Amino acid sequence: MELFEYKAYELSNMLKEKKISSVELTESVFNRIDSVEDKIEAYVTLDRENALKTAAEVDRKIATGDTLSLIAGIPTAVKDNISTKGLRTTCSSKMLENYVPPFDAKAAEMLQASDAVLIGKTNMDEFAMGSSTETSYFKKTKNPFDTSRVPGGSSGGSAAAVSSGEAVLALGSDTGGSIRQPAALCGVVGLKPTYGRVSRYGLIAYASSLDQIGSFGRCVKDIAMLTDVISGHDSMDATSVNTEHPSLYENLTDNIKGLRIGVPDEYFGKGVDDDVKESVMKAVKELEKNGAVIKEISLPSTDYALSAYYIIASAEASSNLARFDGVKYGYRTESYGSLTEMYEKTRSEGFGDEVKRRIMLGTFVLSSGFYDAYYKKAKLLQQRIQNEFSNAYKDVDIIATPTSPFAAFKIGENIGDPLKMYSADICTVTVNIAGLPAVSVPCGYNAQGLPFGLQLIGDKFCEQKVLNTAYAYENAVGGFRSPSL
Amino acid sequence: MDIDILHIAKLSRLKIDDSEIESFEKDMKNIIDMVEKMPEINEHLVLDADHPMKLREDKAVSGKFSRQELMSNAPQVKAGCVVVPKTVD
Amino acid sequence: MVDNYEVVVGLEVHAELNTESKIYCSCKNAFGLEVNTQVCPICMGMPGTLPTLNEKVVDYAIKMGHALNCKINRICKQDRKNYFYPDLPKAYQISQADVPLCENGYVNIYVNGKEKKIGVTRIHIEEDAGKLLHSDKFDGSLVDFNRCGVPLIEIVSEPDMRSSEEAKAYLETIKSILLYIGISDCKMQEGSIRCDVNVSVHKPGEPFGTRCEMKNINSFSGAVRGIEYETKRQIEILENGGKVTQETRRWDDANGVSISMRTKEDAQDYRYFPEPDLLTIVVDEERVKALKESLPELPNVKTMRYVNDFGLNYNDAAMIVDVPEKARLFDETIAAGCKAPKLLSNWILGDISKYMNETGKSIYSSLLTPQKLSTLLTYINDGKISTAAGKTVFDIIVSEDRGIDEIIAEKSLAQVSDTAALEKIADEVLALNEKSVADYKNGKTNALGYLVGQCMKASKGKANPSLMKEIVLKKL
Repeated sequence: MELFEYKAYELSNMLKEKKISSVELTESVFNRIDSVEDKIEAYVTLDRENALKTAAEVDRKIATGDTLSLIAGIPTAVKDNISTKGLRTTCSSKMLENYVPPFDAKAAEMLQASDAVLIGKTNMDEFAMGSSTETSYFKKTKNPFDTSRVPGGSSGGSAAAVSSGEAVLALGSDTGGSIRQPAALCGVVGLKPTYGRVSRYGLIAYASSLDQIGSFGRCVKDIAMLTDVISGHDSMDATSVNTEHPSLYENLTDNIKGLRIGVPDEYFGKGVDDDVKESVMKAVKELEKNGAVIKEISLPSTDYALSAYYIIASAEASSNLARFDGVKYGYRTESYGSLTEMYEKTRSEGFGDEVKRRIMLGTFVLSSGFYDAYYKKAKLLQQRIQNEFSNAYKDVDIIATPTSPFAAFKIGENIGDPLKMYSADICTVTVNIAGLPAVSVPCGYNAQGLPFGLQLIGDKFCEQKVLNTAYAYENAVGGFRSPSL
Repeated sequence: MDIDILHIAKLSRLKIDDSEIESFEKDMKNIIDMVEKMPEINEHLVLDADHPMKLREDKAVSGKFSRQELMSNAPQVKAGCVVVPKTVD
Repeated sequence: MVDNYEVVVGLEVHAELNTESKIYCSCKNAFGLEVNTQVCPICMGMPGTLPTLNEKVVDYAIKMGHALNCKINRICKQDRKNYFYPDLPKAYQISQADVPLCENGYVNIYVNGKEKKIGVTRIHIEEDAGKLLHSDKFDGSLVDFNRCGVPLIEIVSEPDMRSSEEAKAYLETIKSILLYIGISDCKMQEGSIRCDVNVSVHKPGEPFGTRCEMKNINSFSGAVRGIEYETKRQIEILENGGKVTQETRRWDDANGVSISMRTKEDAQDYRYFPEPDLLTIVVDEERVKALKESLPELPNVKTMRYVNDFGLNYNDAAMIVDVPEKARLFDETIAAGCKAPKLLSNWILGDISKYMNETGKSIYSSLLTPQKLSTLLTYINDGKISTAAGKTVFDIIVSEDRGIDEIIAEKSLAQVSDTAALEKIADEVLALNEKSVADYKNGKTNALGYLVGQCMKASKGKANPSLMKEIVLKKL
């Protein structure tokens, strides 16, 4: 077995016991990248030189007997919308093709303070808008289980990198399912933490009230380890919650006796493929066998969540992306006369169609005369969805649903049909609207061997319960498959 | 629901070519049709006073970034300033 | 023609707050430094940056809210105002829309001998934008972001003013309150206080006319000129049978004209929505109360107290109150026992102001104390020393730590009020000026002044002038 194939927690022990060095491990990952990146195209930017430098530094620290963090020396990829000082951060957009941030995102800073080895920046849907990573300006990332298919999105590069062994761990961001859906499609574990658990400082915003940075790994333990590193209050982010976060990794257990799991009918309706429903229900049964108590519940406003999501997210995006105007940073059009012409040409040339569509939708729902009918109504729906979840958590500990309504689809299959593409998010957006934590774990494979995802949603700051449930499932099924590349 | 794509594009500072208008219009219309299925809600938006914001102490910290560093991504710089086409009101 | 119309004015005042740091980041809030040196990724709107609200901005706005008798919304939020402009790096300004920090207040102003109450609609907090710099030598504009994120409060009045004088009085009152409560430097030349003016005209008894707004006027005198120009312009339109169009105009102070910028039809659509990067602002009730208790006596209230309690005329009172240090000296000197408030007022506006102007120093940095000033003015008021002698004493005690009595004795400044001594002088002078005495007796009354003057001269200026005059009269 090659080093890149191991789990992070295994590698962490091997490093501590000096069985391997971080340089060997990092080289193993870069060798893997050299052999499969042409097929997968998970990265926008690789930083081999600095990665090896960090790895050597970690090895030196281990040699001198320093006590290091669990993720010290582990090759980790970072989604390209998380700012990294001195390393270009593009959001997979022509607009930021040459943008080099003068500061680190808080999460990137915490990663580096824990001595993780940052190996590169992963591909994504442009400005995190999409569910297939096809809207990237640079490249289309492929699903490691079938390279003719999408890896999901928007954090498709991070999911594919972890799945294919091009990274051991990865950070992504999730606004409407952008960690969980690609995790499901690429057969890895992905956690979207509670809104406010991880600082958003330096995360290039898509929709500020919904965005949250989270983790990818090949097992639940790895996710717990990485999430511990990036959790914590940040005074630079007013929406960051000031509370203690006991270690998820230390407290991880697969004992779920008596845990109440709710299964909401609304997440198994039309639009969700039958084989997805079946495998998710089978996973729920597996949890029941391990001691969980299953309850049928109802979340009636779910049907409207997708609409509310697209209004709120687009409205915020239209404002968040207005700063890309060719003045201070990023792309500026070649030739222009007036200021208005410079603005319009810069933005029209710098943004792709999906971004333009959402900017215009957001502008429309906020514009004079339409605000109450759209934006305000969506915010009211959000209030209602939040209340429905709060009520549900009086009776259950965890809510189990599919992550994605379908397995990975063919590249190009949905790109011309925005509504079809948006429907990929029907099971995941409610979680962002309600600000809850949720994990996606692989829960079986279809006839072609493509993975499905089980989504486990917890109440606010109940990440431990979410991960314990996922861990119990992982142990019950004996772990997850890796793609054969 | 008719959407004035050109007006919205102008507000967004986007230039939509004539050849693209139709497709954007269609996509937008489909999305709006979807969101128009939202139910009427006779409730009020409430400010969340249970999670108040912690305010920052009024203390100046300077010199963390040099001007050159902050301007290094700008498309055009002159005399320590970013340059834009002549703009008077 | 103007007399047939009533003008209606509403004002929006933007005042920069004198906090140490900016409103949403820790950059220094300073004016006049080298371009783009007081900036950071946050106030430059770099991708991924987030705002954090400065607590002092909230405190200061609440103080102003109390000063203007507002209701304080201790639970409120911030909103984004979206528009593209090179001096606005995020392409939105963080401001407040439907729930401002303070609303429904009023302020009393004083115009033409009368007090008038002006409604204050709201006060909200927001961030300032940067500055565009132009040069004839260069075909483009340069952007300086130093001012981005400087904290502002916007004070919006009701359309309660009916003349440019009222508008001016309102602006002066707002400015003096800002200075008194110490939240703004109000430096016009630095643009730290600016206003938008709304003007409409109508015939008395008829409903309000269509209003025009003039934006970003950076002097009070400019605002007054703008209102007068706009009043005249609108009346002319109506008199010629036209209609006033609702629009935003730019006041060109140099040329004394207002120019149309945009009409209501192409008004900007700012697409306000709640700022998702910030949570609800919640201020404790105790803090709201404590801020109210921390307010000093406000200048408009103080001015009226000087008029009503001490009999000063309004203009003198206002001039003293206008400079907080002068008002402090007035109050402390009265407290030290000075029984001559009008004389005190004259001295503060006269010699003391002159001293401050000439030296450029605070009177409190001199050696003059309210106790000494009180003693000095009491001596003058009681006739113990002359006004001229008082000035001599004043010149010494501002720079030397010496007793007033000691100076009077050393320089023999005390007035002679000894009747016998004065009668002797009078006798001698009258004897030497027989012609003038005769003139006076023949009805040339101005000879009296000459004779008294001669007596004063003979006393080397030390005679009590009113007593001297009395004695000369008696002897004639």
